[in-house]
Amino acid sequence: MKGKPETVKAVEVSDLTKRFGDFRAVDHISFSVERGEILGFLGPNGAGKTTTIKMILGLLEPSGGRISVLGLDARKSRGDIKKMTGYMSQQFSLYPLLTVRENIEFFGGISGLGRPAIRERQAALAGQLPETLFRLTVRDLPPGIRQKVALFVSLLADPDLIFLDEPTSGVDPEARRAFWHTIYSLRERGKTILVTTHNLDEAEYADRILVIHQGRIVLEGDPRSLLETRKADSVEQLFREAIGSHETT
Amino acid sequence: MRLFYLVKKEILEIVRQRELLVLLFLAPIIQIIVLGYVITTDIKNVPVEVVNLSNSRAAGEITARLQASPLFRIVKLSEKPEKAEDVLRRGEVRAVIEFRDSPGRGRWAWTLPEVHILMDGIDANSSQIAAGYVNGIIKDYLQEKLRRAGLEMPAEAKTLIRYNPRLRSINTMGPGIVALLLTILSVFTTAFSFVREREQHTMDTLLMSRLRPMEIFVGKAMPAVLIGLLDMVLGIGVVILWFHIPLRGSVFYLFLASLLYLAAILSYALIISTVVVNQSQAMFFSWFSLVLFLLLSGFLTPLESIWARAPALAVLTEINPLRYLIKIIREIFLKGNGPAFFWRDLLALGGIAVVLTSLSLLNFRRFISK
Amino acid sequence: MRRLRAVMAKEFFHLLRDPRSLSVVFIMPLVQIFIFGYAISFDLENIPVAVIDQDHSEPSARLIRDFERSTVFVLKPLGGARREGDFEAADWALRAGRVKQVLVIPAGFAGRIRQGRTAEVGLIIDGSDSNVANRLYQYDQMIIQRFAAGLKGLEDVFQVKTKVYFNPESRSVFFFVPGLVAIILLMISAMLTASSIARERELGSAELLFISPLRSGEIILGKTLPYVLVALATGSFILFFSHFWFGVPLRGSLLVLLLFALLFVLTGLSFGVLISTLAPSQRVAMLGSVLATLLPSILLSGFIFPLDSLSAPLRALSEIIPATHFLRIIRGVAVKGADLRHFLKEGASLAGLSLITLSLAVMRFTRLRRARR
Repeated sequence: MKGKPETVKAVEVSDLTKRFGDFRAVDHISFSVERGEILGFLGPNGAGKTTTIKMILGLLEPSGGRISVLGLDARKSRGDIKKMTGYMSQQFSLYPLLTVRENIEFFGGISGLGRPAIRERQAALAGQLPETLFRLTVRDLPPGIRQKVALFVSLLADPDLIFLDEPTSGVDPEARRAFWHTIYSLRERGKTILVTTHNLDEAEYADRILVIHQGRIVLEGDPRSLLETRKADSVEQLFREAIGSHETT
Repeated sequence: MRLFYLVKKEILEIVRQRELLVLLFLAPIIQIIVLGYVITTDIKNVPVEVVNLSNSRAAGEITARLQASPLFRIVKLSEKPEKAEDVLRRGEVRAVIEFRDSPGRGRWAWTLPEVHILMDGIDANSSQIAAGYVNGIIKDYLQEKLRRAGLEMPAEAKTLIRYNPRLRSINTMGPGIVALLLTILSVFTTAFSFVREREQHTMDTLLMSRLRPMEIFVGKAMPAVLIGLLDMVLGIGVVILWFHIPLRGSVFYLFLASLLYLAAILSYALIISTVVVNQSQAMFFSWFSLVLFLLLSGFLTPLESIWARAPALAVLTEINPLRYLIKIIREIFLKGNGPAFFWRDLLALGGIAVVLTSLSLLNFRRFISK
Repeated sequence: MRRLRAVMAKEFFHLLRDPRSLSVVFIMPLVQIFIFGYAISFDLENIPVAVIDQDHSEPSARLIRDFERSTVFVLKPLGGARREGDFEAADWALRAGRVKQVLVIPAGFAGRIRQGRTAEVGLIIDGSDSNVANRLYQYDQMIIQRFAAGLKGLEDVFQVKTKVYFNPESRSVFFFVPGLVAIILLMISAMLTASSIARERELGSAELLFISPLRSGEIILGKTLPYVLVALATGSFILFFSHFWFGVPLRGSLLVLLLFALLFVLTGLSFGVLISTLAPSQRVAMLGSVLATLLPSILLSGFIFPLDSLSAPLRALSEIIPATHFLRIIRGVAVKGADLRHFLKEGASLAGLSLITLSLAVMRFTRLRRARR
C-alpha cells in the first residue's frame, strides 16, 4: 500500500461513518489531506469534527469506511501511526497539578524520549518562556501560555502529522497570532497540520478548509479562491451560505 | 521505562493534593484508632430492670450480685409488677428480670425464686448474652448454696479459651478493621480516578501516546497498590502498638495476602469505574459493594450461620475476597498459623485476584477502544 | 417561589435523566435488606464441635447427646487415630478452624458423679472470634448446668425461664431494618447533596448560583429538596417492603414517623451542604461526607454495635449523632409500637440537631457567597 513518499497523502478518508445508536455523527465523508499542508476543519459544535479526528487517530472505532494515514491503514497500523502523529486536544490535555517541567518530562518519557532528550526539550521551552511561568503548575498558567505549552508537548516526539483540536479557544488575539506563526514554521519543516476550530476568521490562515455540518462535508477548498469565486466577503459568510444551502437541500 | 513516567506522574498528582494525602494516610490512622474503641462486640453494662416479687432472701442476694456486676446496669429496682412489654417498649432497658416465689417444692432448706428473664427481642444478640450472664450469676449463687449445704454441683465446666483468653473484642475486630479500611480506601479512590481521567480528557492523550493499554492499566493501578500497602503497614502498626493486638504469625504471609487482596479489590473498583457514568454512581456502587463484602465475609457474623440460613447467599461468600483475607489475618495474628493451615484460602484469594485483574484488564481494553 | 422551583426542577431532571442512578438508589438497598433478612443473624447455628470422650460411660454419652441435640452445634469427628493423639488432633482442628470448640470428658467422669463429687467437663473454645466464643461459652454453661441439675434432680430449683418480646423468632431483620432505613436516608441526603454542590463548584457553574438574586436559603433548599423527596421515597419503600415481605412490624403513626424522618433527612442535608462548602473537589466532598456522616452513624448509633458497652466519652459522642435518636424512635415507635410520649426527648434532640446543622450550613454558605462577591 505504500506509494512513493511524495505521492502518498498525509490522510486519506473514504466513506467514513460513525453512528452512535441512531444518531449519525459522521455521515459517509471522504476527503484527503496533502503532505505539508495546513487544513482547517470548520463547523459548528457537534458537527462531527472531533469525532472524525478521533477516528483518524484510532481513538474511536468507525462504523464504516476506510482511513489511511501516511499510507498506512488506520485500523491495522495503529501503533505505527501513533509514532508519527501528535495530538493537542480540546482542553489542552496537560496535567494541571504538574509543573511545565514535569509535564514535559512525562509526555516526553511516554513518547520514548531518553533522559538527555527530555532535558534538552525542557531547556528549549524554558528559553521561550519567562522563568517564573516555567516553574508554575499548569493550573496556574494563563490560557495563552498553557496553549503554547500544550502545543510544545504535542510536538515532543517530532511527529510528521499534527492534529490540533480547538487549539485557540479562550486565547487572546495576540497569543493567537503567535500561535499561527509557530504553525507556519512547522509547515516550513514539512509537517502536515490539521486544525479544527469554530473560530471562522482563523480559517484564512489555513491552506485549505473543510466545512462539516451535521456529519457531512458542505464546503471544501482554498479559502482565498473560495472567497473570490463565491463572491463572499468573509469566511463566515461562506460558512453561513454553505450551511444554509445544506439545510435547504 | 515508559511505565516509570506514568507511575511518577500519578504519584506526583496525588502528592500535590494535600487534602487527598490527609484522607489517604492520616484519616485512616485516626479512624482505626476510633473504630478500635467503637467496634466492640463486648456486651457489658446492659441496662436492665429488676422486679422483685418474691419474698425470698435469695432474690435480694442475687439482685445484689447483679448490681455488683459490671455486666449489668440496673436502671430500676421495683417491687411492683409491671407489664414487661410496656417497660421494654420504652427502650430504656434491654431486659426485665423478675423474681417470683416458686410454689414451694423441693427438698432443699432454702428456696430459689423463679427467675423470669423478659428480653427485648429486637436486639437479640445483646439480650441473649445478657440472659446468659444472668444464668451464670444464678448458677454461681446456687453453687455456693450447695457447697454450704455440703453438696457439690454434680458437673462443672472447666473452660480454656485459646488464642484470646480474655475474649477481647479488639483482638477479633482489630485486624479486620485494617482490612475494612483498606477496602474502603481502595474502592473509593480507584473508582474515582478513572472516572476523573475520563472527565479530564487526558485519557485520550494517554491513549494517543506510545503507551500500550497494558502499560496504562498498570501505571494507574500501581500507585493505588503502593498506597494500599503503605496504609496496610500503618494500620497494622497502629493496631499492634496502640491496641496491643498480638501478632503471632508470619508478617510475610500477612503482606502476601494483603497484596493479593489489594489486587482483587482494586481490579474490582476499576471495573466499577468503567461501568458507571458519573461520580455519584461510583460512590453508590462502591458503597453497596462494600456492604455486601462486609456482610458476607465472616467479619460480623460467623460464616457457619450464613450457611445454615441461606445457602444460596452463602455461595457468594466463597467468591468474596474479604472473607479469605479476614480468615487469614485472624489466623496469622491470633493463632500464629503458618501457610500449612491457610494455603487453601491463599490460593482462593490468589485465584480471585487473577480472575478479577484479568477481567478488569480486558474491560479496560474494551473500554478504551470504543 | 418561581425561582426556587426553577432550581429544583433542574436538579430533578438531572437526577431523573439518569436511570442508572435511580435504580442504584432503589435496588441496592433492596438487595441489602434481602441479605440482612435471610443471611445475617447473630444467632449461633451450625457451629462445628469436636468431642473427646475418655470415659465412655452412660452419663458421658448422655452429655454428648445433650450437646448434639441442640441446634447450635454440629458434632464433627476428629481425625486422630490413637487415644493419646486425640489432643493433638483436637488442637490441630481448632487451629485450622475445622471446629470452634472441643468438648473433653475425662476418664472417671461417671465415677465422680457416682461418688457425689464434682465431675469436670473440659471445654476448649476458639477465642479468635470473641463474640462467637462468648456466646458459645454462655451456651455451653447452660447445657452443662441443665445436665447437672438433671443429675441431682435440681431442675425445679434452678428455674430460669426466658421470654422474648417483639421478636419471638429472634429475626435479625427486625433489628437491622430501622438502621438500614436511616443509613439510606443519610446516604442520599448527605452524599448526593454534597457531591451535587461540589460538582457545581468544580464545573464553575456555582458562580452563576452565587451571584444570582436568590437568597442562600433558597439556593440550598432548591438544590436539596429533590434529594429530600428521593430519600424519603426510598426510605419509605424499604420500610414498607420489609414490612410486607419480612413481616417487620410497622406500628404507630406513619405521619409521625415521616415527620421525624424529615427532621433526620434535614440533618443529613445540612451536613452535606456544610461538607460541600468545605471540600475543594467533588471527590473530597464525597469521601468527606462518607467519613463524617455515614461512618459515625453506622458505628456510633447503635445500628449494629451496642451502645451500652461503650465508654462514657464515646457514649456522649453518640448522643450528638442524629442517627442515634432517629434509630431509637424507629425501633421504639415503629417496630415496638411504643407511645410517642416516651420519645419526646429523642424527638427534641433530633429537632435541635437539625436546627443547629442547618443554621451552620446556611451560615457557611452565605459566607462563601460573600467571599466570592
